Amino acid sequence: MSNLLVQNIKHTNNTTSMAIDTSGQVTIRGEGSATTTNLQQGLCKTWCDYNAEADGTGNMSLADSFNVASLTDNGTGDYTFAHTNDMASGNYVFLGDSQYETGTIGSVTTVKIKSGSSGNKAAATMRVKSEYSNTSGNCTAYDYAQQQFAVHGDLA
Amino acid sequence: MATLKTNTLTGTSTAGSIAVTGEGNSTTTNLQQGLGKVWANVDSSTASRDSFNVSSLTDNSAGNTTVNINNDMGNANYTGSWYTTAYHTSTVGDFVNNLTGGFGGFATGSYTTISHNGSAQVDSDRNFSTIFGDLA
Repeated sequence: MSNLLVQNIKHTNNTTSMAIDTSGQVTIRGEGSATTTNLQQGLCKTWCDYNAEADGTGNMSLADSFNVASLTDNGTGDYTFAHTNDMASGNYVFLGDSQYETGTIGSVTTVKIKSGSSGNKAAATMRVKSEYSNTSGNCTAYDYAQQQFAVHGDLA
Repeated sequence: MATLKTNTLTGTSTAGSIAVTGEGNSTTTNLQQGLGKVWANVDSSTASRDSFNVSSLTDNSAGNTTVNINNDMGNANYTGSWYTTAYHTSTVGDFVNNLTGGFGGFATGSYTTISHNGSAQVDSDRNFSTIFGDLA
């Protein structure tokens, strides 16, 4: 492996594109060129596309993913995912969604961190709940075939 | 101060894979895997306010829009986040459970979003989507 020791990466016209600080954090030029942003902070740290009813009996399968080490099926609409490289804490953003299936009751489908325990959103793992609700707000756990999520935040 | 001048950054072992040190300096993450590959802000007339890697938008029917991807994804197994107000103006008086929608089909060259107000699909003023996954 070869190493390149630099603090700035510039276009050949001398415009700075990236600056690397002493801890390896990278500041990059914004699209409008008026500001900069942090490369590491802007990267999605974990994403996952999965099927919660892969064999028709509720067994799960990963379609594709990044930084997902394992998944555990805890029951209908109840799953645990482990990060390969852990987050720094549980203070990250989780964005989940499922694809509506004809025949499932209710107009709202959600994939979210399961409530009830702060440990459900931890540095190493996430416990996720998939459900739908009717217009009265009553929720029912459900194994949707098409589910996905993305995680943004700080790596350990 | 050392400065590198270049027009392109490419991985050494794998051209499309560059490791980046994480915020806590104890792990690394992958630059390409972490980048948002598509994002779109679409209005109720199926017009783009702004977007990235979107070639065109298709108005399939009320509340049903196909986002056509400029540089295609490597497969249909990608992930995304989606938001809609399920309301045709920028002013939403209240949020109730029946203001919703979701993703429709995923393909390498496009994906579909659906906005639904609980009784029918509706053209929504705000349709936001972001896609992560593998580029072709």
